[in-house]
Amino acid sequence: MNQRKNKECIAMLLAGGQGTRLGVLTRAVAKPAVPFGGKYRIIDFPLSNCINSGIDTVGVLTQYQPFELNQYIGNGQPWDLDRLSGGVYVLPPYMKGNAGEWYKGTANAIYQNIMFIDRFNPEYVLILSGDHIYKMDYDEMLDCHKKHNADCTIAVYDVPLEQASRFGIMNTNPDGSVYEFEEKPKHPKSTKASMGIYIFNWSVLRQYLIDDEANPDSENDFGKNIIPNMLRDGKVLWAHEFHGYWKDVGTVSSLWEANMDLLDDKSGINIGGDGGDKIYARNSAEPPQFIAASALVKHAIVSEGATVYGEVKDSIISHGAHVGMGARVIGSVVLPGAKIANGAEVYYSIIGENATIGAGAVVGAIQTAPVKGEWQIALVGPGAKVADGGKVKPAEMVE
Amino acid sequence: MNNVMGVIFASDYETKLNELTIHRTTASLPFCGRYRLIDFTLSNMVNSGITQIGIVTRSNYSSLMDHIRMGRDWDLNRKNSGISIFPPFVLNASREMYKGKIEALYSIQGFLSHNPEEYVLLTNSNVAMNIDFNKVYDAHIKNGADVTVLTHKACPTSSRRMVVSAQEDGRIKDIYITEKPEDETYDIGLNIYLIKKDLLIKIVEKQYSRGCFDWEKDVLTKQVHDLKLYQYKIDGYVAVVDDIKSFYNENIALLDNDKRNKLFYGEGVIYTKVKDSVPTVYMDNACVKNSLVADGCVIDGTVENSVLFRGVKVGKGAVIKNSIIMENGEVMENAEVCYAITDKDVTIRNGRTISGYETYPVVVAKGKTV
Repeated sequence: MNQRKNKECIAMLLAGGQGTRLGVLTRAVAKPAVPFGGKYRIIDFPLSNCINSGIDTVGVLTQYQPFELNQYIGNGQPWDLDRLSGGVYVLPPYMKGNAGEWYKGTANAIYQNIMFIDRFNPEYVLILSGDHIYKMDYDEMLDCHKKHNADCTIAVYDVPLEQASRFGIMNTNPDGSVYEFEEKPKHPKSTKASMGIYIFNWSVLRQYLIDDEANPDSENDFGKNIIPNMLRDGKVLWAHEFHGYWKDVGTVSSLWEANMDLLDDKSGINIGGDGGDKIYARNSAEPPQFIAASALVKHAIVSEGATVYGEVKDSIISHGAHVGMGARVIGSVVLPGAKIANGAEVYYSIIGENATIGAGAVVGAIQTAPVKGEWQIALVGPGAKVADGGKVKPAEMVE
Repeated sequence: MNNVMGVIFASDYETKLNELTIHRTTASLPFCGRYRLIDFTLSNMVNSGITQIGIVTRSNYSSLMDHIRMGRDWDLNRKNSGISIFPPFVLNASREMYKGKIEALYSIQGFLSHNPEEYVLLTNSNVAMNIDFNKVYDAHIKNGADVTVLTHKACPTSSRRMVVSAQEDGRIKDIYITEKPEDETYDIGLNIYLIKKDLLIKIVEKQYSRGCFDWEKDVLTKQVHDLKLYQYKIDGYVAVVDDIKSFYNENIALLDNDKRNKLFYGEGVIYTKVKDSVPTVYMDNACVKNSLVADGCVIDGTVENSVLFRGVKVGKGAVIKNSIIMENGEVMENAEVCYAITDKDVTIRNGRTISGYETYPVVVAKGKTV
């Protein structure tokens, strides 16, 4: 392929994570393919951000349970990423000469795709991860990167001090340049958490990746190896502060919270995109939702193809889901195609894709506050069945 | 069915849709919350393997072009075959728009003869159903028919319906066009025909040269004994939209679960243009009963027995009953809408009341503010 024009900036999206903390939700799919917000999947957010920021070339690095994700991405058309030059590419690990290996770490995954990136010969490479819900203009971040002549710019998010020890923290000078990176510090000096979004000058990163690979003691990780090495060598690293909505949805509790934030005007998450920042998704081609005469739907989000005969409150009902007569769904997230049979009660739960909750079953319980920061969300896995009259306790997981 | 090509007549001048088709063709008439009428014909064709499709337009076809674009949403953006849209044409001699299907077909002879398919499926675009045209094709071959005429059982609720009567074996003995509405049930033609391409071209040339332009009146009714016309009955769900009343009734009829399942979960998937609307938000004062709601709505009022299209806003205290609110309609606080069809981008301001009757729904034209 002859690239007539080099790309200024291409994105590499790390989508290989197993997402073990999401339990049965990621048993058969990669975390970025987990459904979100009634009609989206997590990966829709970084992909839509890319196209809305003018980045038309995205490599998606996959290795864990890739089929559903691959099928979902397809040729990239839903995100307008089906391009003559560029577009979206799914990049699994592959054999090189006689050898081949899995992606060992975040940096190694990019290292293994140096040849892919070189084909576009970009000035900058944007590194993204596939497990956050946020809307961001990467172009602004790139402007910040260029303005400061940085070698690497890291997006940071101001977190509460008491939570800072759970994140990778950037310690910055007053001008915004980074002098130190601490991974999950016990005594954080700053509250600027790394969002796992980096812009590198490709020529600089390329050399660091090669050097890092040559070091047998390295964990081949951006946070643990590449960033500290660049700081040690006196490279210019800049922190780009992000002030919008951002949430890591790595746990069942945080995934539930992010869904609930959609119902809260004050949360600042606005997935509608009046200002050219729409979130795109692959469409499921279903008829409009049907709300029956027996239904009661308040403070809820419901998507196409859903049929509601029962009560739905403070909940997200995804496309093609069904809530039967006399059923109650309170404070819950019902994923695509799930069926809540007549008279079943679902409280503070996540019901997996195509799962069935039997008639009269009771799943989860109403909660007023999280326990040690974690909501006790009952989780029914994709395709799982809860028998008629069955009981699922809060925080219990059903396969 | 790589052997069949489709020709869709997007404007259907038999219809009486008044305000609703001032700005659009019948084909692009919004239907059931997120569709346009042509989606059903296109989806049925694609699901049956018909991918060579010509769409003949007559007037006001920009909404249709905007809806169909390259045909990607129906998987019709193909290297070979796909959608060809034929804008209205004016023949040099006549200086007026085509007068009937015969003249329209005469003008697209190139499209018909240059493509390899041997059969043509001719159809209007005012019918919503979910059928497999392969079965029609099989019956056509089995019967050795010249023309297969698709019919359904209904009362001719308006004039100019085509009544078909056939023998036991399906061979049509008589066809006539009704003059006035009747209460009795007949087999009524759906304006959908399967015919061998060579025969179609031959008929079109002959009729055109004699100044006969009406496919139904000049060909079918007159040549019922010369041509082997066979009936193909559609027994399942069929919605025919040809006036305001049928438009209203057929939309509201889809509140019925059984009908909806037949239309959307029958033979194949019904596709439409993807708009990436966010899911619908129900606020604290929402009270929605027996209604179809598309994505992108924000509802804080009461909605009963109604169909809301994409992006409709219902303010606090607003009441919508027995109505059809098209895309981006806004019913503001404490307004009331009853037995109404509001076209796209209509605003009903605070406290206003709009009311029609079940037998005569009031229509608010596109973009108007009440």
